[in-house]
Amino acid sequence: MITIQGLNKWFGDLHVLKGIDLNVKEREVVVIIGASGSGKSTLLRCINFLERAQQGNVFIEGTKIEPRTKVINQLRQEVGMVFQHFNLFPHMTVLQNVLEGPTQVKNISRGEAAKLGAELLKKVGLEDKADSYPAMLSGGQKQRVAIARALAMQPKVMLFDEPTSALDPELVGEVVGVMEELAKEGMTMIVVTHEMWFAREAADRVIYMDEGVIIEEGSPEKIFSNPENERTQQFLSQIL
Amino acid sequence: MTNCAKGVEELNIDLPWDLSAIPEYFFFFKDAALLTLQITTLGIIVGLGIGLMVAFAKISHHKIFNIPASAYIFLIRGTPLLLQLWIIYYGLTAIVTIPRFPSAVMALGIHNGAYIAEIFRGAIQSIDRGQMEAAQSIGMTYPKAMRRIILPQAFKRAVPPLGNQFIIALKDSSLASTIAVHELLLKGRQLGSSLFMYMEMLIIVGLWYLIMTTVLTYGVSVIEKRLQVSDYRSEH
Ligand SMILES: Nc1ncnc2c1ncn2[C@@H]1O[C@H](COP(=O)(O)OP(=O)(O)OP(=O)(O)O)[C@@H](O)[C@H]1O
Ligand SMILES: [Mg+2]
Repeated sequence: MITIQGLNKWFGDLHVLKGIDLNVKEREVVVIIGASGSGKSTLLRCINFLERAQQGNVFIEGTKIEPRTKVINQLRQEVGMVFQHFNLFPHMTVLQNVLEGPTQVKNISRGEAAKLGAELLKKVGLEDKADSYPAMLSGGQKQRVAIARALAMQPKVMLFDEPTSALDPELVGEVVGVMEELAKEGMTMIVVTHEMWFAREAADRVIYMDEGVIIEEGSPEKIFSNPENERTQQFLSQIL
Repeated sequence: MTNCAKGVEELNIDLPWDLSAIPEYFFFFKDAALLTLQITTLGIIVGLGIGLMVAFAKISHHKIFNIPASAYIFLIRGTPLLLQLWIIYYGLTAIVTIPRFPSAVMALGIHNGAYIAEIFRGAIQSIDRGQMEAAQSIGMTYPKAMRRIILPQAFKRAVPPLGNQFIIALKDSSLASTIAVHELLLKGRQLGSSLFMYMEMLIIVGLWYLIMTTVLTYGVSVIEKRLQVSDYRSEH
């Protein structure tokens, strides 16, 4: 589904991604863990070209993504992204947020939009909030709207960048619940998170990153109970 | 109350001016006030157009856009409006003669364009980067994301400083009196000298400005409130 080859990214002199190779299969759920500053966000952002890697390639379903505006805009329709700080559009209602992509980018009809909007809000459990503005929502509700907004483009892959780390602990569950549901439905997902129970429940594979390199990867059982690499062990002992 | 009234009466006797001329001549200034309003309104419209374009030019990463924009802002903000007005009305006569009223509008528009550009630029750049990223992450093009996501939020933030700028523009329109546009200030000076009642006429001028700035301030605050619907948390 997604293949990343030899990705290298520098911010000035800072070498942030050092030759990342990654292959994510259809319906696979990959969780990325790693210390702060190890390049997890940058990796996700290079996949949908919010950052441009200086070297390396991204392939979606075997097609190499050329860094041209048109290709990138098309790619972004197929790769949904959920941000740590939600980034909802504050001047639009919940429903307008969700339908902004389908109506403005895909130009779907009003009838279709109404149906899609209702469907998605039901999926994230926010039917009754359709006409609320983001400022009226809790963090957990905001993030669920953000997930619905990304899903509205009917992407092939979803990227999550620490979707619960800006939330109060009691609100984490409702967001992770929606993500688990998505994983069950067979969505291909790449998730940066420190919610280990999500990784245990839903991940097919866990990747440990350190200083711009993938140090270790494997099934959640293997990584959590039996990590080979010393640095992985250290990291896990800190967060578990 | 009676004390106060007495105070005014006593004051009246001592004053060297005939304050009763103020209500008497107040509406003599209607046309002049209208002209002030016209210069200001047209000047602001020109200024908004210039301001929006210059703001985008200044934000642009292309030197052919952002260097002229910076130069324009530097020149206009660094020199007095009166100089700019005289350059347009007197200075350009060797090339083209621009009549008084359009000269005043142009000067006010060009002058305010620089300030409005900075207001827009500041407002656009104050919008969280995540907004543009979220818009692009659903496949929006840059111009569309600007139009649908960034600008509506930026305009909202720009309303209070724009209101401020409009009030400044209204008062600055009085400089048109120096090129004999018959707006409020010139009218006050002329009537004042012909009636030997400078103070009385200038007070009338002041009252007209106060009325207009008050209405403008109120209008801006109404717009601000209207735009805030999405900011309020629900009561329940
Ligand atoms: N736009 C940028 N300009 C310069 N440096 C950046 C930029 N974005 C990230 N970096 C740097 O790149 C490195 C990797 O950042 P990144 O955000 O990918 O880390 P991360 O693994 O997501 O960390 P965290 O867990 O804190 O989110 C960090 O050292 C960071 O300071
Ligand atoms: Mg990060």
